[in-house]
Amino acid sequence: MATTTSVSVTINGKEYAADIEARMLLVHLLRDELGLTGTHIGCDTTHCGACTVLLNGIPIKSCTMFAVQANGQSVTTVEGLARNGELHPLQEGFSEEHGLQCGYCTPGMMLTAAALLESHPDPGEAEIRRAISGNLCRCTGYQNIVKAIQHAARSMAAGPASGNGEAEGGEG
Amino acid sequence: MSVSGAELGGLGCSVKRKEDARFIRGQGRYVDDVQLPNMVYLQLVRSPFAHARITGIDTADALEIPGVLAVITGEDLAAANLSWMPTLSHDQQMVLATEKVLFQGQEVAAVVGENRFAAADGAAAVRVDYDELPVLVDPYAALASDAPVLREDREEKTNHIFHWESGDREATDRVFEAADVTVSQDMLYQRCHPAPIECCACVADWNTTEEHMTVWMTSQAPHAHRTVFALVAGLPEHKIRIISPDVGGGFGNKVPVYPGYVCSAVASLTLGRPVKWTEDRTGNLSSTGFARDYHMKAELAATKEGKIQALRVKTLADHGAFNAAAQPSKWPAGLYNICTGSYDLENAFVEVDGVYTNKAPGGIAYRCSFRVTEAAYLIERAVDVLADEIDADLRHAARLDV
Repeated sequence: MATTTSVSVTINGKEYAADIEARMLLVHLLRDELGLTGTHIGCDTTHCGACTVLLNGIPIKSCTMFAVQANGQSVTTVEGLARNGELHPLQEGFSEEHGLQCGYCTPGMMLTAAALLESHPDPGEAEIRRAISGNLCRCTGYQNIVKAIQHAARSMAAGPASGNGEAEGGEG
Repeated sequence: MSVSGAELGGLGCSVKRKEDARFIRGQGRYVDDVQLPNMVYLQLVRSPFAHARITGIDTADALEIPGVLAVITGEDLAAANLSWMPTLSHDQQMVLATEKVLFQGQEVAAVVGENRFAAADGAAAVRVDYDELPVLVDPYAALASDAPVLREDREEKTNHIFHWESGDREATDRVFEAADVTVSQDMLYQRCHPAPIECCACVADWNTTEEHMTVWMTSQAPHAHRTVFALVAGLPEHKIRIISPDVGGGFGNKVPVYPGYVCSAVASLTLGRPVKWTEDRTGNLSSTGFARDYHMKAELAATKEGKIQALRVKTLADHGAFNAAAQPSKWPAGLYNICTGSYDLENAFVEVDGVYTNKAPGGIAYRCSFRVTEAAYLIERAVDVLADEIDADLRHAARLDV
C-alpha cells in the first residue's frame, strides 16, 4: 500500500485537509473524498474538459492533476459558482439559453467560461469558441452554449452587485 | 380573436427544463456519483490483442496485493454458467473471455478491490499469456474461403452472420439490363463511436438477506437490461431493480449490456457488498457499441434524360466479434430499406450480409438512426454519381424523380 501524504486545499473558499495517496488525482479528491460530485470525469486524458475546475482562477483539467499538486492552493468547482443562494450569471445564462442537455459537460463548460469572462468581459463569438475548445459537448449544444455565455456577459455588464462577477475567486 | 401560445399551454413558447436546476448547480446524480456504505471497486483486465488464444491466466500476484478482494476470470464464470450473455440481436457475447479473445480491449478478467487503487493495482498484476492468431479486420476477407473462423462457439463454421434482403431482385435486374445508363459506386460508411462524455458505469448491490439485486446503471434501456440480468443470473425479474439516474449522454451507446455490468453483479453476489465499476475512456471507445461500418455498393439505372428507374444495393455489414446490434426494429439491418429515399423508382432491391470480424461488437442505433443514416447517404451519393454520369444538373435530376 502506498504511503499517504497530507494536503490542504481551499475549495470554494473553505479549507479542506486530507491524508491521501500521492497518486490520487485532484478530481478524485473532489469527488470521492470531499463529495463534490459536480465535477465530472469524461476521458481521463485531458481531452473532454468535463473535469474542469479553476485553480487560482485558471481553468485546469482536474483528471490529469494530482491532488498533492493543489496543496496550499485555491480551487473553485461548480458548487462554488452560486453565492448565498444567488446563481452566477453563467448559471442563469445556461438555463435561459438552453445551453445544456444531459448536463454532464456543463460544470466544466461554465467554469471555463467564468475564467474567460473574468479576463474578457465582452468576448466575441470567436473568442468564446476558442475558450471552450477544450470542453466537449456531445449533445451538440455549442450554438446554445455560446449564446449562454453571451447572455452571462451581457447581464454581468449590465447588472451590478447581485451577480458577483468574480466567480472563480473563491478567497483568491 | 388571437390566442397566445402561453394561453394554449406552451405552444410556441420557450419552456424551462425541469432538470436544469440541478445540473447548473452541480447537483445532478450520475451513476459514478452514487456512494454506498461498504462499497468496493471493480476494474477490468482487457486484451491487448485482437485475436489470440488464452494459454493461461495467473491471478496469484494480484491476490497478494493488499486490498484486493477477488479476481474473476472467464473460467470462474463458466463454472457458474455465467461466461456468456445474450445480446439484443439473437447472438451471445462473452462476459469474460474463455479460450480466446476476439477483439482488442475485450474483457478478460475482473479485479475487485477495497478502493480504486487496489482494484487498479490488482488488474495490473493479473498475468495473461496469449498465443496470437491471424486477425480479420476486413469484412470481405472474413468471407474468404480460407479465412479463420472467429466464432468457434457457433454451430455454423463461418464468419457470415445473416443475410437480409428487400425488394424484387429479378425485376430490378431486368431494368438494369435494359437501361440506357447505369452507374455503380462503392462507399464505406466508416465505423464510428457515439462517445457520450459520461462513460459506462454501474453500482451493483446484492442484498443478501432480501435476496434482491439493485443496479444503478448508465442505461438507456433499463427494462431490457433487467431481462438480460434475469437471464444471465437466473434471478426472477422482480428480484432485480435497475435504476437509471441522470445519464451523461447515450446516443445508443448505452442500450447494449456490457460485461462490466455483469461482472459487477457477479462480484456483488459473491462478496455481498455493493460493487462500483466505472469505465475509462479507452475502455469505452475500444469495447462498447459502435455505429455504422457499412460497406455499401449502390447501383442506379436511368434513362439518358436522367429519369431514375431502379436501385440495386449490396452491403456488407461489419458487426465485429459478436452481433450486439441494439435497435428496436425487427430487421437485422434496421430501417435500411428506406434507401430508395424520396425517388420514384420502378424497382429496387437491397441486400445486406452481416459479418464477424476482430473488432468490438455492435452496431448500435447511433442517435436513433436505425441504419437510416447509412441509407440516406447511400441514395444521395448514388444520385450525385448518376448526375455526373449523364451530365445533368443534379437538382434537375432530383426534381424529375422525387
